[in-house]
Amino acid sequence: MEIIVPIKQVPDVALNIKVKDGDVVEEGLSYVISSWDETALEAALQITEDLGGEVTLLTIGPDKAVESLRKGLAMGAHKAIHVKYDDAKQTDSFAYAKILQKVLEGREYDLILAGKQAQDTDAGLTAPMLAEFLGLPQVTNIIRFSDVSEKNITLYRKGDHATEVLEMELPGVVTVNDSLNEPRLASMRGIMMAKKKPLEEIELDAIGVSADMSGAQGSMTETLQLDKPESRKEGKCFEGDEADTVKQAMEFLVSEAKFLA
Amino acid sequence: MNKILIVAEVKNGEIKKNTLELLSFAKSQGLETDAVLSGSGIAEQADVLAGQGASTVYLADDASLEIYNTEQYTSLVTDAVQQSGATQVWLSSSELGRDLCPRLAARHGVGALSDVTQFEVNADQITAQRPCMSTKVIQKCKFSKDGLRVISIRSGFFTAEETAPTKANTVNLPIPAGHAKIKVKEVQVEVSDEVELNEASIIVSAGRGVGGTEGCDFVKPLATELGAAFGASRAVCDAGWLPHKHQVGQTGTMVTPDFYFALGISGAIQHLAGMSGSKVIVAVNKDPDAPIFKVTDYGIVGDLFKAVPVLREEVAKINT
Repeated sequence: MEIIVPIKQVPDVALNIKVKDGDVVEEGLSYVISSWDETALEAALQITEDLGGEVTLLTIGPDKAVESLRKGLAMGAHKAIHVKYDDAKQTDSFAYAKILQKVLEGREYDLILAGKQAQDTDAGLTAPMLAEFLGLPQVTNIIRFSDVSEKNITLYRKGDHATEVLEMELPGVVTVNDSLNEPRLASMRGIMMAKKKPLEEIELDAIGVSADMSGAQGSMTETLQLDKPESRKEGKCFEGDEADTVKQAMEFLVSEAKFLA
Repeated sequence: MNKILIVAEVKNGEIKKNTLELLSFAKSQGLETDAVLSGSGIAEQADVLAGQGASTVYLADDASLEIYNTEQYTSLVTDAVQQSGATQVWLSSSELGRDLCPRLAARHGVGALSDVTQFEVNADQITAQRPCMSTKVIQKCKFSKDGLRVISIRSGFFTAEETAPTKANTVNLPIPAGHAKIKVKEVQVEVSDEVELNEASIIVSAGRGVGGTEGCDFVKPLATELGAAFGASRAVCDAGWLPHKHQVGQTGTMVTPDFYFALGISGAIQHLAGMSGSKVIVAVNKDPDAPIFKVTDYGIVGDLFKAVPVLREEVAKINT
């Protein structure tokens, strides 16, 4: 089983994010693999541990994105592809999906396993767009899988009103919900071995991505500015005996917030 | 000329609130609007869409459409776009919309704006706002090329006006084939008459602090008595104390009720991102330093097992 796991290096959103002049302040950001992508990688590792085959990480990003590839290799991925790219700020999901299509055309794989969205944009567009561009079936937001073979996989998709159990013939594109698993940590041995694993570097023009397919030119949407959300006003805090504090809170809820009015 | 095509969603044979919100908003903006309605046994719901302002309802009523699937729905909406001459497609950012919006946009060779919480239409341009980076940042964005506009919109940000159904002008769409490579093995419907998370005006949510299934049972009557949806944190669902459909957060359902009660929820980042847009937030937690208190309007530092009975008493007093 050959599995492609596209990963995105993103700012760690668990940390404080500062915004100034319509943009995120770069200073103080720490970069990590988008958490849903780690879930996808964990699933891919489990499948290849069962069935054999290899997991290939794929990222589009600047030089520092190599750190995320190395981390994924340390977790157990077999090899990695780094598409060198510095235009991230101007690039939307459409353009990323087109570039991924170019990278993957002509390569052999059975499954593309991706996170359901990236933690920076929270858009969730790239993987289904890629599926359409590659002419592959897609199943998004899976919380479980079973019965994996070289030909098929059974996927449990969390839909709006039901869990849909779907059998997909491979190759195909699957996106994962992080309820699927708890990604492993890289071991010391894994970190050492990662340094020796194959890491392929690709320049855009080598795969036929012309200037008008990347950056703002290749994108269909643009970001005008980034802002902080309106901050919530300072709340009231009640401490003490619950019999009293709950009553006090309820009084405010009714009088101020018109609860059950 | 601008024309909007709204992708209608149904549950239990009825049009969902998220769809009515979009129709109401389109009407308030004076936009010409059609709708595409697909499902099984839902034909008469076209009149509800017409009552909310849909000029033409493109209808696909077939047993194979009972449950959403990517391929048939992408084909149907594409067909409806062509027939109606729509210049914009509006979807809800439900699980249906999250799956369909990018696939549909890609089929038309265009980009998309997803999970939008505010937007305005100026001629054929859409300028939108959407939360990103776990709702720590708001992105203002627009389309930068010509072509069909495809956007998905989060429910709860627009108000659905009450309107009476009127006789719809309908066009039946031919039923397309499903994807040859995807077979539905089973649909595990969790039947319930519970209020749905993304349609609730009040949500009562249980966190790790409830301690187990018994703790969930202890909290649930408060939800029932309030006519509220019953939510949960990821920890509760991953532990199997409640099914995943109850999960609030980026991994579960993004919610924006009028009142959100977080009981024993510490406030992991993906949970906060999924509920911090609620109008009023109440939390009960033992730990005064829990992150949930950063977003609460009324924070009660205390034991939920002592607080919930008092809450229920107070609610009972108000309700009588």
